[in-house]
Amino acid sequence: MQRRSALKSMAVAVGGLMALPGWASGWNRTTVQSARFLSAPQDALLADVAETILPATDTPGAKALNVHQFIQKMITDCFEPTAQETLKKGLAAVEEKARATYGKSFAEGDATQRTTLLSGLNASEDPTLKSFYSTVKNLTIRGYMTSEYVMTNLTKFEFAPGRYHGCVPVTASSKTLTEKK
Amino acid sequence: MANFAIDAVKATTYDAIVIGSGISGGWAAKELTGKGLRTLVLERGRDVRHITDYPTTMMQPWEFEHRGQLPLEIRKANPIISKCYAFYEGSAQFFVKDAEHPYVQEKPFDWIRGYQVGGKSLMWARQTQRWSQFDFEGPARDGFAVDWPIRYEDLAPWYSYVEKFAGISGNKDGLPQLPDGEFLPPHEWNCVEKYFSQKMKDHYKGSRPIIMGRAAHITKPQPIHLQQGRAQCQHRTICERGCPFGGYFSSNSSTLPWAAKTGKLTLRPHSVVHSIIYDEKKGKATGVRVIDANTKEMMEFYARVIFVNAAALNTNLILLNSTSNRFPNGLGNDSGVLGKYVAFHNYRAGISGDYDGFLDMTTDGKRPNSPYIPRFRNVFKQETDFLRGYAAGFNAGRSSYSDQSGIGADLKTSLLNPKMGGWHVGSHMMGETIPKESNYVALDAGQKDPFGIPQLKISVAYDDNDDKMVKDYLEQMTEMFTVAGFKNIRTRDDKRNPGLDIHEMGGVRMGKDPKTSMLNKWNQLHAVKNVFVTDGASMTSTSTQNPSLTYMAFAARAVDYAVKEMNKKNL
Ligand SMILES: Cc1cc2nc3c(=O)[nH]c(=O)nc-3n(C[C@H](O)[C@H](O)[C@H](O)COP(=O)(O)OP(=O)(O)OC[C@H]3O[C@@H](n4cnc5c(N)ncnc54)[C@H](O)[C@@H]3O)c2cc1C
Ligand code: SF4
Repeated sequence: MQRRSALKSMAVAVGGLMALPGWASGWNRTTVQSARFLSAPQDALLADVAETILPATDTPGAKALNVHQFIQKMITDCFEPTAQETLKKGLAAVEEKARATYGKSFAEGDATQRTTLLSGLNASEDPTLKSFYSTVKNLTIRGYMTSEYVMTNLTKFEFAPGRYHGCVPVTASSKTLTEKK
Repeated sequence: MANFAIDAVKATTYDAIVIGSGISGGWAAKELTGKGLRTLVLERGRDVRHITDYPTTMMQPWEFEHRGQLPLEIRKANPIISKCYAFYEGSAQFFVKDAEHPYVQEKPFDWIRGYQVGGKSLMWARQTQRWSQFDFEGPARDGFAVDWPIRYEDLAPWYSYVEKFAGISGNKDGLPQLPDGEFLPPHEWNCVEKYFSQKMKDHYKGSRPIIMGRAAHITKPQPIHLQQGRAQCQHRTICERGCPFGGYFSSNSSTLPWAAKTGKLTLRPHSVVHSIIYDEKKGKATGVRVIDANTKEMMEFYARVIFVNAAALNTNLILLNSTSNRFPNGLGNDSGVLGKYVAFHNYRAGISGDYDGFLDMTTDGKRPNSPYIPRFRNVFKQETDFLRGYAAGFNAGRSSYSDQSGIGADLKTSLLNPKMGGWHVGSHMMGETIPKESNYVALDAGQKDPFGIPQLKISVAYDDNDDKMVKDYLEQMTEMFTVAGFKNIRTRDDKRNPGLDIHEMGGVRMGKDPKTSMLNKWNQLHAVKNVFVTDGASMTSTSTQNPSLTYMAFAARAVDYAVKEMNKKNL
């Protein structure tokens, strides 16, 4: 809907010269489509891992923003096939370590236990676990920072700023985010 | 029956045919229809209507399935086009996929194409620098290629003519090596760019001017732009998705709808031109053979005058494939130079660095353009051990960063409170390559494309002159960056293949002498007077400036001449 109203205001901006294109009215595609290679429990675990990396605070965390589905989508479509194996192995290791260390599943662990466990993966000697952690973390950050919620509510994203000023003083609100194409 | 045949011929007969609907073809179509000629524009790709057929133009970053990145499968299936910086999830629909339109790389050549109505005018970067007297006098002076049959003065009024309609922003800088044009207000500099420009002016005593790039953006709409249905550029910097405002010049937003308004335009997408028909009795071309891309059916269309604007290398292909008893080696190819002396721009080298100053200043908004360093080597006299020179892009910007080492709530806080980084500066070279006979394209009779047309074989490579130029660019820019006090200077020569600059030119060059050139000073085939070539194929040499504005000016000029000749019954 936001898209439609943006188009409408644009049509006004160009002086009614523009007819609304056909595809604008039929716009209801969900951006992240269903996951493809993880089982439901694996998917839930990935969501908990992402949530541990970027948890809900006074604003939503990774899980609420469906970042785990984005991760799966990216690993399925944009990464080498080996990344799927790495992801599955990493998830299995996370679960195993949780049980071995705390005697309960990762999901049941508290925030500190989960954080300690994931940080441990980062420090791990095992290249698969290291790669699992860095990939999931990078994709979590990317999925979160490019989510609609974050871009429209928490960061200064402008679609059509209509201006360029080359030399303005730095102010508290100068936070700029590079354009995500 | 006889009548039936005559009617059929009538129905497929126009006053003029334009092959290709990209930057140059769009201009040919606008001018021809504007002068009252019933014009058929043949385009091999699909139709792309302004706004309606820009499916990603209003998509927000989060609406892309892969947030802009293209799936691995697509990248792997398209190793060539994937090298183009402008090919991403939002623009992929406008680029030719590698497998669909094969060609033969006798030497590595990354051929970047857009096969649709509008051609590459949809995805281009919109830099529109005029060529100067030095560019048109160059070959005569240095002895490479052949002398251009025209001079800057011949083209100047036509530059003005197309600039006013297309809408070009820029500053009047008064430079002989980069003539001023009809400009809308220029884009703004940022502090570091302005500083660099001033510093270079002081240090090099004005011999290395740095200017704001001239770009095909409507910074302030004039009545002529509003009449086209175009509006002020909104600074979205996602132009290669197609601009719903018509903020930048494309055939789709500008020339083609204008041509359509005359009622004289017939646009036929899905029409792959196979060859031009030459009538030996009449001693001229009578029409073209077309393969319908959907039905694969071969058909013919006829006209009094034909403009070939299929983009440089495809224009070569069409002429090479247009054989007859009179022209067994390609239409108009009495000299044997057709397909030869192909040249391009060299974008191999780049340089970057950081700047510590202006930390209290930043930028606001986005700018679809950047400053430009006009050629300063060998302009007024030969001063290096290589021929010709290079222009360069330059830009500065400030980025933000955040500490991403943590995890949990701290990481989140850090991400949402980015710190401002320092200024970064960068430049890339645009070198002129020398047209050589050994850089050529030809037909590979053994390999056919999906339409049964011989594939184009491309044999184009860098030479020693290019290597020397790369070296000089890196040395000179390092010196300039050092003078400016830039830190962490990093240079690169990415050794990219020719072609990736997307400024391929030549093969059907202009010249005074029919023995050594294909076209006369009116872009008219010496040997077939009713056929005109006004795209990059016609360029005798390549200049260092971006070429498309020059194709526009040539197209408008050639149509003006052609129609006058038709009225005098000379065509
Ligand atoms: C990412 C990118 C950035 C660029 N940046 C700049 C820039 O900043 N400045 C600049 O000056 N230039 C730039 N260019 C180059 C510019 O786009 C081209 O120079 C320009 O489009 C050439 O115009 P043209 O009419 O010759 O060809 P095109 O615009 O490519 O149009 C040719 C048309 O002919 C059609 N065609 C081809 N063969 C046939 C056939 N057999 N039958 C029928 N139709 C056919 C094609 O489908 C196409 O639509 C850039 C290009 C790209 C892709
Ligand atoms: S920068 Fe201007 S021309 Fe480019 S998409 Fe935005 S509004 Fe259109």
